[in-house]
Amino acid sequence: MNQIFKYSVPALGLLGLVLGGCQPTLDSPAASPGSANFATYVSVGNSLTAGYADGGLYREGQLNSYPNILSQQFATVGGGAFVQPLFTEAQSNGSGYLRLAGFANGSPTVAPVTTKLAVRGLYTPPLKDIPVAPGVTIPFQGPSRPLYTKFTEPVNNLAVPGILMADIQTPGYGSVAGNPYFERITPDANPYQTYLQRIQATVAALKPTFFTFWLGNNDVLGYATTGGASPSSVITNADTFKLKANRALAVLTSGGAKGVVSTIPDVSGIPFFTTVGPVLKATLTAKKVPGLVIMTGAAPGGPASGNRKQIGTADIRDASGGRQLFTLTASPFLGLLGQPTAAPWRYIFAQSNLPKVLFAPYLASIGVDTTAAFGVSAGNPIPSAFVLDDVEQGAVATATTAYNSALMAAASAHGLALFDANSFFRSVAANGLATNGVNNTAAYVSGNLFGLDGVHPTPRGYAVVANEILKAINAKYGSSFQGVNANDYRGVTFP
Amino acid sequence: MTIKTLLLAGGTLLGSAAAASASGFQVNLGGQQNIGMGGVGVGLSLDQAAMFYNPGALAMVRENGVQVGANFALARGTYMSSNGGPERHLQPLVVTPFNLYASFGPKEGKYKFGVAVYTPYGSQLRYADQWEGRYALTEINLQAVYVQPTFSYAFSPRFSVGAGLTMLAYGSANIQRDLPLPTGPAHLTLDGKADFRVGYNVGIFLKPTDKLSVGISYRSQIEARLKGGDVSLAGLPAAGSPSAGAINSQFTATSFDSTLPLPAMAAIGIGVMPTDKLTIGLDASLVMWNTYRTLDFAFSGNNGNAGPETPANSGLIGGKNISSSKRYYQDALAFRLGGQYKATDQLILRLGTAYDFAAVKDGYVTPETPDADRVIGTAGVTYQPTPHLGIDASFQFERFVKRTQTQDDLISNGTTDRVAGTYRTDIFIPGIGVRYSF
Repeated sequence: MNQIFKYSVPALGLLGLVLGGCQPTLDSPAASPGSANFATYVSVGNSLTAGYADGGLYREGQLNSYPNILSQQFATVGGGAFVQPLFTEAQSNGSGYLRLAGFANGSPTVAPVTTKLAVRGLYTPPLKDIPVAPGVTIPFQGPSRPLYTKFTEPVNNLAVPGILMADIQTPGYGSVAGNPYFERITPDANPYQTYLQRIQATVAALKPTFFTFWLGNNDVLGYATTGGASPSSVITNADTFKLKANRALAVLTSGGAKGVVSTIPDVSGIPFFTTVGPVLKATLTAKKVPGLVIMTGAAPGGPASGNRKQIGTADIRDASGGRQLFTLTASPFLGLLGQPTAAPWRYIFAQSNLPKVLFAPYLASIGVDTTAAFGVSAGNPIPSAFVLDDVEQGAVATATTAYNSALMAAASAHGLALFDANSFFRSVAANGLATNGVNNTAAYVSGNLFGLDGVHPTPRGYAVVANEILKAINAKYGSSFQGVNANDYRGVTFP
Repeated sequence: MTIKTLLLAGGTLLGSAAAASASGFQVNLGGQQNIGMGGVGVGLSLDQAAMFYNPGALAMVRENGVQVGANFALARGTYMSSNGGPERHLQPLVVTPFNLYASFGPKEGKYKFGVAVYTPYGSQLRYADQWEGRYALTEINLQAVYVQPTFSYAFSPRFSVGAGLTMLAYGSANIQRDLPLPTGPAHLTLDGKADFRVGYNVGIFLKPTDKLSVGISYRSQIEARLKGGDVSLAGLPAAGSPSAGAINSQFTATSFDSTLPLPAMAAIGIGVMPTDKLTIGLDASLVMWNTYRTLDFAFSGNNGNAGPETPANSGLIGGKNISSSKRYYQDALAFRLGGQYKATDQLILRLGTAYDFAAVKDGYVTPETPDADRVIGTAGVTYQPTPHLGIDASFQFERFVKRTQTQDDLISNGTTDRVAGTYRTDIFIPGIGVRYSF
């Protein structure tokens, strides 16, 4: 009996191994283009399309831009080269960006990356005479701004961080005095080319067969991230938006190209607005502070002018409710609540790039008394730029809705696919997003999807955007792109 | 050989079917003769393995005997993500479900005592490195060994009953997965042993004519309670690194409790013996898997990762004290058909087939049990050099129906803790046994 066992066990084991050699196979459905042609792909957009992340444009972000991820999928059905205006390895940190430096008392701390930048020089604005008192002006030199290493070869990714829909026909937007990211890719021979003209030139030269179009976020984002306080960041008129969107899409589709139009997400769900408020609310509630005094809007005037506003602690938005949103930029100053301080105002004033002699007149114009208790008195309210209040949110929502109906109508008129980024990001903000068993959320730093500026996605965030766009393409054109494993793309890099 | 030494010896080749050989993580490998016939046995009284299939039939097994069998199960599984990418293969593991029976009783008496040792549940799977589902599961090994004292009584040559105490003598679970930390993947291992628990099985066996037999059997559920299992963590940020404070404080647990159901099973079987040489069996069984609703872990203990121990910072995995994952299994039917032909006094040939319905519903498939409806084919042969000695070889092949779930399925079921994609598995189970009767 033992003998038999001794011989048959290895024999049977061997038999098992031999038979086990037949590994079941799964026929991977080959990607098919459906009714669209992905040979030449061009992307039009702003920072989101450029791969901007963590408050800057840098090589890693560019390589993980959603158009670059899309182009890799398109390559499986005959898509050609996709050229991005990449920063070189030697200048891989591009404009510089924020990195996570560590944690202080459990809260993340960020630090700027200032090495390996792609700064080729500085643009110094011309001297300007600035009025400092009635009848008195002083010559003032505004602060210099960096200019980035140029990339003048033809590019497929035309994205320009910071661009508004309103900007696309502005001559000089690509000059040294304009947007440094557009300036970077604008041909030296034609420095006043507008963005729309650049699209036209690209369509003529590259003859794109497919495009993505995601423009217009900044037409409302600039207003929102400055808490509705900046006189220069206003919400673009909806008619202007519609007109220019239609012009851009007319150009893009002029050669018969197919494509995807993306809507504008509701900005109130991004970590830039959702991170600070809940913590503040908990602190105020614990200390039994019933409410705060804020400034609202961009209008000057003192405590009696109507630009002061009382908000109740319960009205600060957190998971349990409330409306008022605090910006990420408010975070360093909220520890000063209840104390006399000028620090928040110095920070706000510095954003205006005006000479220091104007600081006192600025405070006077808005009736701020820095010896009053910060945030709890009409004399020293929380600056408007730190709060996107309910009225301002209403303006943002109205504009977003108008822009999105214009974009949807245009997509439909041209027979294009639609990626409804608004409903997608709303769902992410409400429910999170699982990717292969990993739970991602819209939370700052820990949520994996949004980077350190609280506005722009991480590579993981861009990967899920690419996957959603591919779904929209599949639905419209009958193609069968499978997307990428988003977990192969990082969230926020921890030190 | 006492049960205990056998158990210890079994420890070296102890196992469970690589990807369990019946629905869910059930293993229906009770005896080599039965395996060769598609796994039928409830309506038959072939040998001592009746204690597994239908304890009521034991008294109808004329001779006392001892028998031992072992199976060498090899699962070949393939997964492909719904995001495409390479095929991910299960690493080939050979695991060895075994069975051991001994029965005693007066030769012409109406009753029999018996002891059975077998592995009715289990699963061992190890996925390819870097596979898409690594944050759900990288590796699992579930083992359960039942020891079953049995008594069977024949009221007449046409009617017998039997009952056994099913004792979960050994049960263990080792479940591993990667953790998606922002500093890179870490690894979590949960390893626990089950408490001793007792259930029962009962059976009735009828033989209305010499050419027909009918059996009904039932085995009760046992809850395998894992208490105080070990939690081990690897790959967390090194203490003192800038991220260690923020991340490691979310992982303080040192032990876990959990419960896995080893579900009840009811079966009915028919045996037909048209000639002396030919036996045909037909079984239908129902495994009551719907009792398996969630897989829950409760974490406790404190490894000091969050600083001085407080109730609030103890027992955390990913910042939580408990984890709960939907299973929502459904009762699973199986139909089995098989026969044997006594070619000569020394040689018996067998063939069989079965169809096992999946216990896991669409959109609930987890990597730990890539369950699907299965088509099973079996063959077997017995060589009997003397009437007292039988050597039984069996071979079972299972083909799982290809099964796909999409991310949308997972979202709508609230089961996004697992992965979307397509699973396909084949299992090859050669086995051998020896019977000695006296």
